[in-house]
Amino acid sequence: MHIRDGILGPEVCVAAAVVSACAVAYSLRRLRVDLEDRAVPLTGMMAAIVFAAQMVNFPLLGLPVSGHLLGGVLAAVMLGPWAGCLAISLVLIVQAVLFSDGGLLSLGANVFNMGVVGAWGGHAVYAALRRCLGTSVTATVSSAAVAAWLSVLAAAALFCFEFGLSSHSSGFDPSGVFTLMVVYHALIGIGEALITGAVLAFVLSRRADLIPAPTPLPAVRAVGQFGTAGLVAALAVAALLAPFKSELPDGLDAVSQQLGFASLETERPPLLLDDYAIPLPVEAWWSVSLAGMLGTAIVFVGAVLLARAVRWNTTPLTLADNTDV
Amino acid sequence: MSDSCSPDAGATASDTSLCHGLPADAKLSLTLLVVVVSGLIPLEHWPAQGLLLVAVFMALSLAGVTVRYLARRLALFLPALFVFGLSIPVASAEGLAWNWTLSLWLRCTVSFLAGLWLIHVLPLRELLSVLRRWHCPVVLIAMIGFMYRYVFILWDELRRLRSARDARDFGGASTWREWTISAQLIGLLLLRAMERAERTHRAMLARGWDGSIRSLDDDR
Amino acid sequence: MTEPAILELRCLSFRYPNGRLALRDISCRVASRERVAVVGPSGAGKSTLLMHCNGLLPSPPVQQDGEAQVFVNGIAVTKPHLRETRRQVGFLFQDPDDQLFCPTVRDDVAFGPLNLGLDQHEVLARVERGLASVGMSGFTARNPAELSTGERKRVCLAGVFACEPSVLVLDEPTSNLDPRARRQLLTILRAFAGTLLVATHDLDFVIDLCDRVLVLDDGQVQADGPTERILSDPLIMDRHGLEVPWRLRGR
Repeated sequence: MHIRDGILGPEVCVAAAVVSACAVAYSLRRLRVDLEDRAVPLTGMMAAIVFAAQMVNFPLLGLPVSGHLLGGVLAAVMLGPWAGCLAISLVLIVQAVLFSDGGLLSLGANVFNMGVVGAWGGHAVYAALRRCLGTSVTATVSSAAVAAWLSVLAAAALFCFEFGLSSHSSGFDPSGVFTLMVVYHALIGIGEALITGAVLAFVLSRRADLIPAPTPLPAVRAVGQFGTAGLVAALAVAALLAPFKSELPDGLDAVSQQLGFASLETERPPLLLDDYAIPLPVEAWWSVSLAGMLGTAIVFVGAVLLARAVRWNTTPLTLADNTDV
Repeated sequence: MSDSCSPDAGATASDTSLCHGLPADAKLSLTLLVVVVSGLIPLEHWPAQGLLLVAVFMALSLAGVTVRYLARRLALFLPALFVFGLSIPVASAEGLAWNWTLSLWLRCTVSFLAGLWLIHVLPLRELLSVLRRWHCPVVLIAMIGFMYRYVFILWDELRRLRSARDARDFGGASTWREWTISAQLIGLLLLRAMERAERTHRAMLARGWDGSIRSLDDDR
Repeated sequence: MTEPAILELRCLSFRYPNGRLALRDISCRVASRERVAVVGPSGAGKSTLLMHCNGLLPSPPVQQDGEAQVFVNGIAVTKPHLRETRRQVGFLFQDPDDQLFCPTVRDDVAFGPLNLGLDQHEVLARVERGLASVGMSGFTARNPAELSTGERKRVCLAGVFACEPSVLVLDEPTSNLDPRARRQLLTILRAFAGTLLVATHDLDFVIDLCDRVLVLDDGQVQADGPTERILSDPLIMDRHGLEVPWRLRGR
């Protein structure tokens, strides 16, 4: 998920860094209003939680690799979009400068894709959905799961856009990278949605007071929130569309044939609707975006089912006693 | 699950070498310079990129980074990059794309190695003082320090939670079960850490914290 | 009592937001330089009581009629006076990792003095003095994560001392300490000239350090008196889930 240095052109990195710096500065300003003197401990701790949680590996079905939580939506749901964006940015900064995980120059792009889109955009989707669905546990968990899936795909779309900008002068077609990124992130996104939903369900069962209910917003901000949510959803659909703009054969099929990744082919979850294109007698463009929406709907239904299925009433691991004695 | 519990932490205060003695600002600027230059070298000038790679290698050996460490980090880094780069020529059957992929691999490796040099020579304390001098917002610096302090504590906690889980789990877990257990692990970690954040906040209040950050001027 | 109380609780009651009544009608006066231990079973309300002395709990300790319930040196511990009362009361938390949040020992010890608004020179002097008084002078540049539990506890104490409080409130100071670290802590606390309020399960520590004991159970003060008299009374001790320490048996 982290963009390494060297993949994007320096000019794109610098532009992304400027945008991200503005976003981080704005988050800092809003945060000091929202959390006051709790801003530093809560945000710093959330960043530490996300960093530590990224060390927990989740095996991908049948594949030899494993994924991990990205945490943008999780952090934003717990602490709001400003603290969420900052927490993810802190994780990325520390990973880049002190652990050489991610890139120095591409830090801005990473912060933008995962922090700004992941936390701000993810939170907008979550809050907009929750406004429509209500405040039940199921609504909270499934809204967050959908937001997580959409934010990951939106980040992939942005990466494709940034990569296209970086490489457009070199005179070749980057659709192979796009296909790889979208398929990979559709998978990662399902993982992200499942983990975010499950973790939130667990937290809700133990300390529901830690997850704030969305507050009523003035009309202008509510419109802004729905607008942001729409933008993220549009980006996610665009990600699903990106590979089909070219007339070339599906890059992933070619990659998997060449590298012998037969498992990738067979283990592809049914969500990725075979090659995204539903055989409908309409224009291909529409069928693909329909596939995207259907995919979103399936993730949503899955999230609702998951939220209902997962009930953490067993206590196999004991929580340390509260210290409020 | 055989996941490691903490990534490789970078420099410690006790390291000494020619590179460690450089001013912290120079370390950070130099690394950024290498990364930018490497990104700006055009495709057809790959020998220049190669020279840069050699220079970074020399810097790494001057800083006392062991070959074993480099090999371990590269073994984790290269496969993903390899697959990523390969998807370009595979999809666009032009000869140019192969050149581009090769130069991409080279460029990413140079940047990655430069990053490894940086984490090896720049301890957190120096990083924070550089950020302070470069007028990074003080709140952000305080948050970075706070996060770095607690991330190791949380890793320890995660390790304890995991061994408690392993002690009760007698193998043969299905993927689904592994997922739910791992999610539960993260949930538990989150709850504990949030409770710790509340306690830390209280401890800060008890020493007069009011939300504004004051720090010592000098960086001895 | 003719002596002015440095710490006074007047009919203090407290209910947590979740509805649990933690403290009921607690009244007590602590004179200057007195060393008081608060003992009692787990869940008795010891930590809650201590946190009230520093105004650390969300709802301010105010009765319905608006009268303050906790006073430090005659000043009510309520929102407008928190700055002043926290300057006078230092608080040592149970887990040193909760208290040490800075990347270096020096930054952490300097945190309190900086928040007092002192100038840089004075802050550095206080850091030196604070670390010297707990025997940790050479550790300024160290990362707290590299220290042992006992060392971290002493750094926490240095951070509290650097604020130069007149009252020191300690929550379970000896938990997780090995015997040597415990002895070092005892020596440091004995040298402290101000008032002490210690909540602990370590009754031997109480015998060595304190001259007065409050027994707290079920949110109420059940007994209050000189250390040896209270701790050697099997009736009181058994009734409140405690045990007469070996050193005081058979007297």
